[in-house]
Amino acid sequence: MTPIIECVNLTHYYGKRLIYENLSFNVPEGRILGLLGKNGTGKTTTINILSGYLKPHSGECRIFGSDIFSMPPTMRRDIGLLLEGHVQYQFMNINQIEKFYSAFFPGQWCRDAYYGLMEKLKVSPRQMISRMSNGQRSQVALGLILAQNPKLLILDDFSLGLDPGYRRLFVEYLREYATAGNKTVFLTSHIIQDMERLIDDCIIMDYGKILIQMPVKELLNGIRRYTCNIAEGYEPELGDKFYHPGVIGNRMETYSFLELNEVETELKKRNVPYSTLKAEKIGLEDAFIGLTGKY
Amino acid sequence: MIKAIFFKEWIKTRWCFFIALVVTTGMAGYSILKINKLVSLKGAGHLWEVAVTRDALFIDMLEYVPLIVGIVLAVVQFAPEMQRKCLKLTLHLPCSQKRMIFSMLAAGLTLLLTCFIVNFGVLYACLPAIFPSQLVWRFTLSAFPWYLAGVASYLMASWIILEPTWKMRIVDITISIFVISIYFLAPAPEAYNSFLPYLTIYTFMLIVLSWISVSRFKSGKQD
Amino acid sequence: MKNFSKIILAITIAAIAAWLLPWCYAFVTAKAYSSPFVLYSSLHGDFIITQRDNVVSRHDTNGNEFDENEVDSLLPTMYMRQLVADGRFPDSILGKHVEPQQIQMTNFNFRSTPRDVNYVNAGIYFLFESMPKRVDLEMPDDAFRFTDNRIEFLSMADNSINEAKSDMFTRMLKEKGFTFPPRKIATNPDPRKEYDNGALLIDASGQLFNLKCTAGRPYVKQIPLPDGIIPCEAYVTEFRNRAYLGFFSATDKSFYVIMSDGSIKKTGIKTFDPKTESAMIIGNMFDWTVKITRTDADEYYALRADDFSLIKELKINRPSSYVPGLSFTSPLNKYVIPHF
Repeated sequence: MTPIIECVNLTHYYGKRLIYENLSFNVPEGRILGLLGKNGTGKTTTINILSGYLKPHSGECRIFGSDIFSMPPTMRRDIGLLLEGHVQYQFMNINQIEKFYSAFFPGQWCRDAYYGLMEKLKVSPRQMISRMSNGQRSQVALGLILAQNPKLLILDDFSLGLDPGYRRLFVEYLREYATAGNKTVFLTSHIIQDMERLIDDCIIMDYGKILIQMPVKELLNGIRRYTCNIAEGYEPELGDKFYHPGVIGNRMETYSFLELNEVETELKKRNVPYSTLKAEKIGLEDAFIGLTGKY
Repeated sequence: MIKAIFFKEWIKTRWCFFIALVVTTGMAGYSILKINKLVSLKGAGHLWEVAVTRDALFIDMLEYVPLIVGIVLAVVQFAPEMQRKCLKLTLHLPCSQKRMIFSMLAAGLTLLLTCFIVNFGVLYACLPAIFPSQLVWRFTLSAFPWYLAGVASYLMASWIILEPTWKMRIVDITISIFVISIYFLAPAPEAYNSFLPYLTIYTFMLIVLSWISVSRFKSGKQD
Repeated sequence: MKNFSKIILAITIAAIAAWLLPWCYAFVTAKAYSSPFVLYSSLHGDFIITQRDNVVSRHDTNGNEFDENEVDSLLPTMYMRQLVADGRFPDSILGKHVEPQQIQMTNFNFRSTPRDVNYVNAGIYFLFESMPKRVDLEMPDDAFRFTDNRIEFLSMADNSINEAKSDMFTRMLKEKGFTFPPRKIATNPDPRKEYDNGALLIDASGQLFNLKCTAGRPYVKQIPLPDGIIPCEAYVTEFRNRAYLGFFSATDKSFYVIMSDGSIKKTGIKTFDPKTESAMIIGNMFDWTVKITRTDADEYYALRADDFSLIKELKINRPSSYVPGLSFTSPLNKYVIPHF
């Protein structure tokens, strides 16, 4: 089965600054994929390329098997796009914006999905979007995407500017919508806790490359935080099976997909002067920090 | 689909359109009032005489009005699209992007031309009572480049606003200033007569410039 | 579409560059050139050239230098007021007794520039009453225009056609052999002029007519032209000496004086094309100095005042300030149209 999103050998520069080189990934149908990465690793760049608003320096991106820059306009019926900050036409009110969008999606527009969400907002139907709070605006943007009922959703930092209540609401609606309709979602967010609740797979980006791409369950099952006591001032040299080992005082902390006994073997092999080694299961946020480092 | 595009453009521009209509029609009306006042003070003969011997047009106050209306309309119509890159939403709609952009420009042009036609309507309703057809025609042809400048300023301002980077905007503004100045070179009434057909074609061809900005926007150009 | 847009933009930028760069170049490199003041002196039998650069020099074509007082005396009709003020005005000039008043009455200036000819006419003209009851001329209360087959007088107060007057004038024009519509209509709508010569009309067949309104009635006179002479521009002069109806230039670039009796005399001006060249005539009772400004030179003709025959000519080259480029306006016309 062809993946919904297929990116091959993407390379992009801003001026002379390389963002990433030969980046490739696929998103299969029915999966919710979160793109994680620190600032400047190219999340927005990737979203921009995927939504067709940035021509990569080289490489190819296909959605539904068709090149993004030459896809027929009708294909965009099945791609829902949420801009960073839930941007929508400020100059329209709730009714006008629904009337406008519905004209572009004959046969697929679910008016009720939109107005169902709007009813919960307790705003007048003639209220201008420019005079709404960020949270209300996010619901309008979400409502429009739900009404569009696309096969693929691309969401750029959906948690930006939202308070916890609206974030939770957004995540729950989206999760329900995606799983019920076998939709594919590609999203970024700077709040990783929100992602944990939502995504099936994750891509964690580091500067210039993809660190890992795997299902979240697999990630969280596999990765451990290892802590141990160690002589003060020890400089760890643990090899590439350990992520970002760091020493604070006489405690060392590192992350690895190895089992406890494998870690002990590795440490002994390297003559690391450790004692009381402990392994912990961790959440997505800690896994992200463990894999990418704090700096 | 086209109806929906016009609907969105109408929501953005309707206030600007009504104000432009009232202001420009008001100014055309005021010119007529001034002419009537001159007729009652000095007689129509005096107006004919200065129109023939001293190239007076009597509607000079309208000279830069279409230019300003064109710029304001473009700002009102396209600045909201560029606010927080709303244009991404517009271009993402399942409609050919060319069709989208040119329909938006067509919507703006329709409003602009409606406003201008009403202006000419006011002049045509009143001037033939005072002046012979030769002079009415002379005033109209002399004012025509000003209204073309209004169309050009609308199309060029749209091009500038849709441009995603400030560096290119400055370049575009410089080019536009020189282009617009071509519409205001008249040393005498009816100076543009033989140039007008070509200038009109060129003016409406300026509509394609916006596509350069949109293409740059789509390829992700930014400051 | 993107390529087409870029072509339009490229053409626009190229046109702006071709328009502005030569202008900038000309602006930076322009040198001040003042063309000399040249007048023919019948007393001296040569042109007197007054050059005002850093110092004023006055000389004739043979290089003889003069001082200011000498020039006053050599050009008594030009500097009459100075001579009178100095008490140096002669009793007679070239054996002819003259009074300052006579000089004043017979001096005239005439100018024609391509911009006066190359512009879009309003198509509305004024015909004065040539024999007004009062001494001063008054602006008429009607204006006239031509249609394809008649002349129409429009009452300006109510913008209506005066059918009776229109019919009367149309009938008279047709009677005199006038072919509608006219190619050119020359008038001098200045109410401060001392008298009125009416209008000069070049009709559709290239015939020249004088049209006047005398006591409310049409006066039409065909000006007899030599074979093959087709007038292209006409000028109503109305100088104080009342000797001429006007001038006309012909398609063969000759230049004629129309005498007040309707006869014509060819002048000694070699060629003059009013569409591309300027003419300036400073005339007095003895001679005319005619300056024709051509693209690269000024040509001066001295003509006798009685039969307009050529006495002497002079050509002074002008430095060319021509820079190739695109231009929308021109010193030769009042049109806006791009040209190289």
